[in-house]
Amino acid sequence: MVRIKHRYLLVNILYPDSNNVANGSWKRPADDVPYTVQFRRPTPDRMDSKLLARLVRDGVSELFGDYGSGMIAGSLQIKYFSPATSTAIIRVSRDHYRMVWAALTFATHLPKPVDLSCVIQVVRVSGTVKKAEEEAIRRARLSIRRAAAIAPTTDLTLGGVGAIDNAASDDKFSNGIEDLDDDDGDDDDDDG
Amino acid sequence: MAQPTLPAPSAPSKKRKDPPINSAFRPHAQKKQKTDHRARQRDARTLSTQTTSKAFHNGALDVSAFIKAREYEITALQQGIQRSGHANNRRAFQQVPKELRRRTASHNAKKVPKRLRRRAEKEMIEDNTPTVTARRRKPTGHMRLRLDTMKRLRALGAQKRAAKDKAKEGKADATGQPDRAAAILPRKPKLKKQPTLAKPPTPKARFRKRQIHKSWLPTHLFHTKRAHMTPPSAPLWRFSIPLTPTQKSYRPTHRAANERGAVAWDMSYIATIALEGREDSIESLLRGLRVDMAQGRAKWKNGTRCREVWIYGRDSKHPIAPVTIIWSASSTVEVQPSSRKRTLFLRMHPSAFTQTWEEVLKMARTAKPAVTVEDLRFEIGSIDITGPGSTEALLAALWPTQTPTEEVSVEKTWASLLGLTNPASLPAGAMLAFDTQDPRLHHPPRTVQPPTSQQEYDNLLRLIAEWPVDRLLTNPVIFDRIARQEGSRLPSQKAINRRKSLATPGAYPEAIATDPAIPILLYTTPDSDRRTQSTWTLLAPWKTIQPIWYSIQYYPLSTGHQPRFGGLNEKRQLAFQRGIAWFPADYPGTDAGWEWEMQERRVRLEEWKKRPKAKRVSWERVDLGGGRRGEVGDGLACDWSLLLRREEAAVAREEGQATTRPEGLAHLPPAHAREVLSNAASTSPSPIDGKLATIRLTLITRGVPQTCARIYRLPRTDIALRKSWLTLLEKPNGNHKHHLPTTVALPKDASPHLLQRRLAQSLLYTAQAGEETYPSCPGEEDLIGFVTTGNFNLAEGKGTGMGCVMLAKVLEDVRSGEDEVRRLCVVRNSGEGIARLGRWEVV
Repeated sequence: MVRIKHRYLLVNILYPDSNNVANGSWKRPADDVPYTVQFRRPTPDRMDSKLLARLVRDGVSELFGDYGSGMIAGSLQIKYFSPATSTAIIRVSRDHYRMVWAALTFATHLPKPVDLSCVIQVVRVSGTVKKAEEEAIRRARLSIRRAAAIAPTTDLTLGGVGAIDNAASDDKFSNGIEDLDDDDGDDDDDDG
Repeated sequence: MAQPTLPAPSAPSKKRKDPPINSAFRPHAQKKQKTDHRARQRDARTLSTQTTSKAFHNGALDVSAFIKAREYEITALQQGIQRSGHANNRRAFQQVPKELRRRTASHNAKKVPKRLRRRAEKEMIEDNTPTVTARRRKPTGHMRLRLDTMKRLRALGAQKRAAKDKAKEGKADATGQPDRAAAILPRKPKLKKQPTLAKPPTPKARFRKRQIHKSWLPTHLFHTKRAHMTPPSAPLWRFSIPLTPTQKSYRPTHRAANERGAVAWDMSYIATIALEGREDSIESLLRGLRVDMAQGRAKWKNGTRCREVWIYGRDSKHPIAPVTIIWSASSTVEVQPSSRKRTLFLRMHPSAFTQTWEEVLKMARTAKPAVTVEDLRFEIGSIDITGPGSTEALLAALWPTQTPTEEVSVEKTWASLLGLTNPASLPAGAMLAFDTQDPRLHHPPRTVQPPTSQQEYDNLLRLIAEWPVDRLLTNPVIFDRIARQEGSRLPSQKAINRRKSLATPGAYPEAIATDPAIPILLYTTPDSDRRTQSTWTLLAPWKTIQPIWYSIQYYPLSTGHQPRFGGLNEKRQLAFQRGIAWFPADYPGTDAGWEWEMQERRVRLEEWKKRPKAKRVSWERVDLGGGRRGEVGDGLACDWSLLLRREEAAVAREEGQATTRPEGLAHLPPAHAREVLSNAASTSPSPIDGKLATIRLTLITRGVPQTCARIYRLPRTDIALRKSWLTLLEKPNGNHKHHLPTTVALPKDASPHLLQRRLAQSLLYTAQAGEETYPSCPGEEDLIGFVTTGNFNLAEGKGTGMGCVMLAKVLEDVRSGEDEVRRLCVVRNSGEGIARLGRWEVV
């Protein structure tokens, strides 16, 4: 059977600049908050999937003109956007996902009503939404571990969903935090 | 035999989708709420998200909130994966195409196709589905008692039988000539002098109790599993008849019968009477039944064509029923033609059997030299099959016993009909008779590939045009009672299985000399319209119908699928869509038709009564326009008494005889009706007083006529109303509708061209139903008839109807009117105020 092929981009919005408190939507974080948490700060509520779609569309039309925006217009869809974790899953047709990726990479600001400087990182490209979701789960687990490891003073109970139940990944984790490094290698140096 | 009581022919079906029916009887058909699968899937795929303000109190960033937010995300994503997986999830038995679904497939993995069986088994284990089969179930106390008794009775029977056999053996030994009995040939049985009604075959002991007041068709067990049957308490014409398949079948039946596939019916309930005697005395008997024996019927009389005719009672002026007459072939010319011995089959609908039987007997008693009459009702069964694949299916099921070497033979002709997609292209009423092998030897049937080359099709066309079988004049063996009995003596299924297992793999077992030869007779519908599909009718001994039926039903058609089967409703549906009247429903002027109509009335009344008052048509309050209120006559009936003269109807009502047929009412066969209508002013109105003619009705504008709709002629006295009806006649130069573009009045200073345009539009505009200018229904004095079958016609793509009109009421219009106006009528569904313009023609 012929079917329309898509790609699902798992996207993280990162905020490397800690002094970023534009138009008062953010409070300045307390000093004891580790940089890794600041770096993966939540996005303001005003940023929603519609705005994200606009960001992508504007970026593509800026970079690729009418051709680009026409090519992605039919298939672009925000499958998942969680402002609390700054994670999104974006669907786009398989033939043109590179344009969207490029637009995301070149984005430096969230659009107008939010207006925050940021870095958008595509961490996974997959053919099914399920794989993208699984990757998001894996990354969420890792960042929980990392936050807990770096801020051991915080009163935390890591018995919930954050716990990794198979020994293999536990080993990986104890070997150092290289699994995290593949995406954000620089933040460890900064907060150390 | 008393006239059998008719059951509910259109009893409410349990099927999910019924064909569209009159809204008057079911005004507010409850619509089942459809589940929106797309919305369900969308819901399942939506992931829940957390807002920042909820996750982080006051927007303060801290590690515990950071971790909680991620935990929430993990849960949401995991649930999402699970939910969307479940939304797509369907059990194995739900994925099977409709025609392969089985009721027990949910708890019996063997009922799903093999490729799904393992999955079904796994799912049943997962769901903990109870999978106890009837065989392994522990019998209840009551059942155990019954089984125990049965066991003991069986043992007793076996003991008795053994004792009997032993006694017989002893006797044979005593005489010393054990095989003498076998050596004596039985005497050729003579027909009894007094013709008697045939008795249904004695059923097996298991089924005897269920057939006390009715008989089963040979394929009863097939149909009970797959169709809604007549209720046990109300058999139809003393038969248990399939009414309609349990599957949805309205549209599939139409497609199979006209476009691709085939539809078959077990028509063994159609009665057969055999007449035997000298040709001239049979002919005079037929003349007594008023069968037209004029010249030009040579082929029919020679026994190479069959014919359908209307027969009359000797003393009554009223027709009884349409009857198919089949002559045995006229043998050699040595004997004086008139004194040849001939046989003849009369085949008629069971509702008219009693009447015909009595008339034929009356005539036969006085015939000289004598004519023997025989009732062959349970001796000859029949199967009807129609559709483009019908010939192919029959070819695969019927294997001739002989392969003759002559140039022209019935068997060869039959074999070369492969590729024929419509039996109507054969000569009308063409017959083929030959002996076939037991179809179980070739079961399951294999697809025969229709020819592909032009050459082969040319040969087929030539064959049809020449039809060499006419020259053969071989007598169909089915007329011979001994041959019928020999052919019915089929070997047991066990014996067949043994032979099949001995045959080489992939090959059918060889025919052997002791195989019974089943005599069959095939004919196409006589007088069929060449444009529509015709029907094959297969006559065969009663007992062989069942194996033949199975071979037809399981035949894989070359165009895909298998032949469908139909019930009584499908027979009616196809007749309606082909514009053919169906006996008895469309002939209320006959006794059988009247009986049917009465039964339908009762059913409709019951249905109507069941509904709450607010949800059924209130007949007194139907608005007929022009200030008239109230339905004309009984809204749930084709109220024929309204059409008779006032005083007669009044008398009939006073005497409470509303259920018996009014004296004057009678049917006029189509040929006569056409004659009456065509030759102007030849006869005085008296002979056609109270005569009904069956008509086909097409609506000129929109609308769908329903059963019981009233048919009016164009009003005679109210000239203005007549004119306004005539404006609805389509203009010849275009079928686009003229709409008034807007109802807004033009401004006072509108330019003259606008005014003129508006004027032209208003002149061309024809009123639409429901508007004030739409003509109202004509009065009761213009009532001419009723619609007996009406519905949306899938073949025509619009509503059509079959009905009856009283000839005396339309005669004047038809004879004097202009061509265009001659057969116009106005049709109004019972219980509705809006009438529609239509045109009728006699069928």
